[in-house]
Parts: sequence; structure tokens; C-alpha cells
Amino acid sequence: MAGKSPAERQALERQNAAIMAVFERAGFDQIAPDIIQPADIFLERSGEDIRARTFVFNDPAGQELCLRPDLTVPACRYHLSHAENSAAEAKYCYLGPAFRFPDEKLSPQEFNQAGLEWFGAVDISAEARILKLAISALEAAGATGLKVTLGDIGLFTALLNDIEMPDRWRRRLRHQFWRPQAFQNLLATFAAGHSQKRTSISPIIDEFKNGDATTTWLDQNNIALQGNRTLAEISSRLAEKFADRSQKPLDGMKRQTIENYLNIEGAATDVPLLLEAISTTQQYSVACASFAKRLEFFEDAGLNPRRFKFSANFGRELEYYTGFVFQIEANSAHGPVAIAGGGRYDELLSDLGAAQKVPAIGCAIHTERLAAVLA
Amino acid sequence: MKPLTLAIPSKGRLMESAQELFEKAGYKIERLGTDRGYRGALVGLDNVEVAFLSASEIAANLKDGKIDAGITGEDLLREAIAPDNQIADVALRLNFGPANVVVAVPECWLDVAVMADLDDVAEQFYQTHGRRLRVATKYLALTRRFFAEKGVTGYRIVESLGATEGAPAAGTAELIVDITTSGATLLANALKILDDGLILQSCAVLAVAQHHKTDPRIVQIVTSLSRIVV
Repeated sequence: MAGKSPAERQALERQNAAIMAVFERAGFDQIAPDIIQPADIFLERSGEDIRARTFVFNDPAGQELCLRPDLTVPACRYHLSHAENSAAEAKYCYLGPAFRFPDEKLSPQEFNQAGLEWFGAVDISAEARILKLAISALEAAGATGLKVTLGDIGLFTALLNDIEMPDRWRRRLRHQFWRPQAFQNLLATFAAGHSQKRTSISPIIDEFKNGDATTTWLDQNNIALQGNRTLAEISSRLAEKFADRSQKPLDGMKRQTIENYLNIEGAATDVPLLLEAISTTQQYSVACASFAKRLEFFEDAGLNPRRFKFSANFGRELEYYTGFVFQIEANSAHGPVAIAGGGRYDELLSDLGAAQKVPAIGCAIHTERLAAVLA
Repeated sequence: MKPLTLAIPSKGRLMESAQELFEKAGYKIERLGTDRGYRGALVGLDNVEVAFLSASEIAANLKDGKIDAGITGEDLLREAIAPDNQIADVALRLNFGPANVVVAVPECWLDVAVMADLDDVAEQFYQTHGRRLRVATKYLALTRRFFAEKGVTGYRIVESLGATEGAPAAGTAELIVDITTSGATLLANALKILDDGLILQSCAVLAVAQHHKTDPRIVQIVTSLSRIVV
């Protein structure tokens, strides 16, 4: 359908006015981040999967620009260019269009996103507050029967940090957390000891005794350096592969611990007991304690965490989040539809140029999907 | 009956091989008008119009439903039309124009053998250099599909419309996805194919729009061509 009719437009505006009223009443200042953004900033952070869905074009000078596929990064850029001190507390809300080439049902290529971003002084209680505001806003717009799913990437990171294994394994497991199949394969490889399968570079690893092997091999085979990776980068990965050969396999107990954790699923209030049964190591225990604390803050905020579902797997598709994550679904004629989501992303502002790490949480509502559910 | 439009490559080796194939099968391709005309007829089969187009236009026109059948490279067809899209498919593989679409990285990346290595390198490259690995290619869709299948993310495609194999040396990309027949060009540019980096074993194909698959004229063409193709 090419555009919205007067009735559709008015219904959407009414709905979104109700959402924004909740946000503004809570003390969030409404900003209007730029619609046209430098393409690099999105594409360097998201990789080719998002790029394939982003409207990218060139300005007359040849610089790559894009229509924003999401409002979080534009809100962060707004903050970095307006705030005197990027680490000081700031509370923003926004309502505006975002653009993506469609890839699934109920995803029009231009849609309006309403959201919150809270930077600076954001502790666990602020996480409860953001979730509460998202739910209140959806209810103010008329939504009922909302289903909330929670996840916490901080728990996984802590568990992994406590389990003894080479740092390079930890790094690779963390990296694959987002892809369940690849994660399982990697875990299986580590548990089996190094992969016995020979590849085309096995002869090079056979020769590898120290960092000089790289140079020797390149010289002997008359291979020039190209491709923008330094000799040191290549050598250090070869050294890792060499070290992997004599590395003790990941023992079965440790593998089981990781798998047991990832299988945890249930009502959020039942989860603390399940979490404690997994491990009692240091960083992990701290993360478990903050999970339990968060549930208390949910109650304080007037939420009912008994009705929230927790899933240790959840969050796998949302790569910039660093801790607490949530998703809210509503029932439609076609089954449950994700209408809002959010979480903690403590590394995005520093990644975008803030002088230091700035804690941040936020959420966004897909207003057209909400309207479709309410219609 | 509406005339059937069959597209034939308008230049190069593909054109010569296609014409030879049709002649062996007992058809003659006649160009209408001048020698350089873009329309023709298939002598020996009624009600078939021949359109002379470039191989990539043939793939694109099949997708848009502007032609009913055509001879093109499988690489171009798969690039234009996703596998789950039913709009057109290969009716017959023709044994000419063989070429592989492959992922190739600099030979000096001694630590990289498989796609899983590439994913690890992509992550580290971003941490160290603050930007994504760049893949130079003209096969945007094939690359995205294959990399996603292999679980490799965190890269960027740089569209390349010629001399792709030179991109790493020129510094405009770190690796490439390109077509190769003997591998000699890759070797000359100090690039190596990853162990599991074969995306597609391509050759020339006769592709047919879905709704013409059972058209008697198509059936006849396929039958007579398949006798020649061994």
C-alpha cells in the first residue's frame, strides 16, 4: 500500500502521542536525531547483514551516506555532539522514521520508531525503570497481554571468565555466542582437543616454532605482504594455532557447565535458583546476585517478574548489547509479534568516540507493528 | 500462441559456443536486420524469437519476466535470482564456460585456511584496525548468502566491476570473491583459494522461466540440446 490513509495516519499519530506522553512525563527530553547519517558509522559496526538492509547512497563528493536503519546510533551521535560532558547523565526520547529493506513479514521498509536512551548514571534500578516505561507506554497505547522475555549477556561473560581455558578460546566462544550452531561446533572442537583435520596451512603450523617462522616461510616461498594485516597479526594467530596442538582439551565438566547454563529457561523468578546450581565461582556469583537484585527492582517498579520469561540464549541476534536485554511481544492474528526491545549497551558510546566508557540503556518500539496488532 | 523469447549471449565465447550448440542440434540462429541487430529467429522451430543480450542482462531479464528462456552463466543466474525464488531455474547445464566462484585471500595470510579462520580474523581485524574486512566482488548476493551460511559476519562488500583480483594489492580490499577457471590469475596476484571457499561450480546453462517449463517449444529445445550436451 503506497502510504497511509487519513484514518491510518490519525490512528498511528494518536497511538504514538500516547507513547511519547509516557516518555516525556518520565523526564526524557524529546530529540530529533538526523535521518541522514554517515554510512560508515553503521556499517562498520554491524557488518554486511545490516548493510544489505540499509539504504546507502553517495553525496556529490562521493561520501557514503545512509538513511538510518535504527535510531540508537543517531541518538548516541546527537548526545556526543550536544552534551558538554558525554559521561554526564542524559535522558532522551524520540519518535521518527527508520528505513530498512524488508526481509520479513510485518516489516515495511519505512517505519516509525519510538524509543528511549538513558546515558550516564544507569545502574540496575534504571534497567527496571526502562522496562517499566516500555510496558507503560505500550499499555497507554492500548496494548494488552504483553509477553516479556529477558536475557543477560553479563551472566554468560562472567561464567566464561571464571572457567579456566586459554584466553583465545574464551574470545572465540564469546564471539560465537550469537550463532548457536557455530557455538556448539566450537565447543565440541575444544572438548575434542585441537582439530585433527589437516588443512592447507597444516604444513606451515608443522614448521612453526617461533614468530620468525612466518617471515622465513614468506621469504622462502617468495610471498609478498598484502591485504592490510601486519606480519605480527599473522604470526600471532599462527602461534595460537601452534599452541592449540598441545593444549589440553576442554574437560567434559566445563563443557557441561556451559551447556547447562545455556539451557536455562523459565519464569524469571525461578531462575536465581537455577543459576546458582550451575556454578559458585566468583565473577559468575556476582552476576547472579545482580540478576536477583534486578528482580527486586522489577517488583519495586510495580512489575510482576513472575510473568516474565528468562532465557539464557536470548540476545543472540542483538550484537551491541553488553548485559541485560529484553523483548516484548504482543499477540496478533498471525501469532506473537515482537513490538519492542531494548537493553544495556555500555560500549557503544565509547566506540562512537566518547572519551570514556559510558553506561547506557535504551529501548525502542516498532510503532507500525504495534498499530497492526492494535488494529 | 504468443512467441517465446529466447535470449542468447550477444558477444564473446558464450555467444560462439551457444550458436555452435544450436547448430549441432539442428537449429540455425538468424539475426534479423543488419549483422549487428539485436533480434533474431530460430530457424527450425516456429514461434520462437531470439534476443541477443549480454549474459548478465539475460539473468536480469529472466528475473524481471521480460524473457522466457535464455543462455547465461550459472554464476550470473544465481547472483540475480535467489535459490528460494521460483521465478526461473536451470533447465539444462551446458558443458561450456566452466568457471568457479571462489573466496580468495592473500597468500601471505599463512594463518587462514578455512572460512572459520576468516570469521576469527574479521573479528580481530576490527579490534585492531577499527574497521571491517573488505571483500571486493561483483557477486554481492552470492557472497552474502555464502558468508551467512558459513557463519562469517563482520565484513564489508566493496563492489568491484573489473580487475577484482587486483583489489588486495591495490589496498582497496583485503580479500575477494571472484570467478576463476585455472586459478592462474589468482596465483599471479598472490591470492589463494580457501579450502572450503568454493561458492559455486558454474558453467553455461539454459535457464527457463517457471511458467514456461512445460511449454512444448521449451521441451523440444531442451530435448534436442540435451542430446548434444554430454
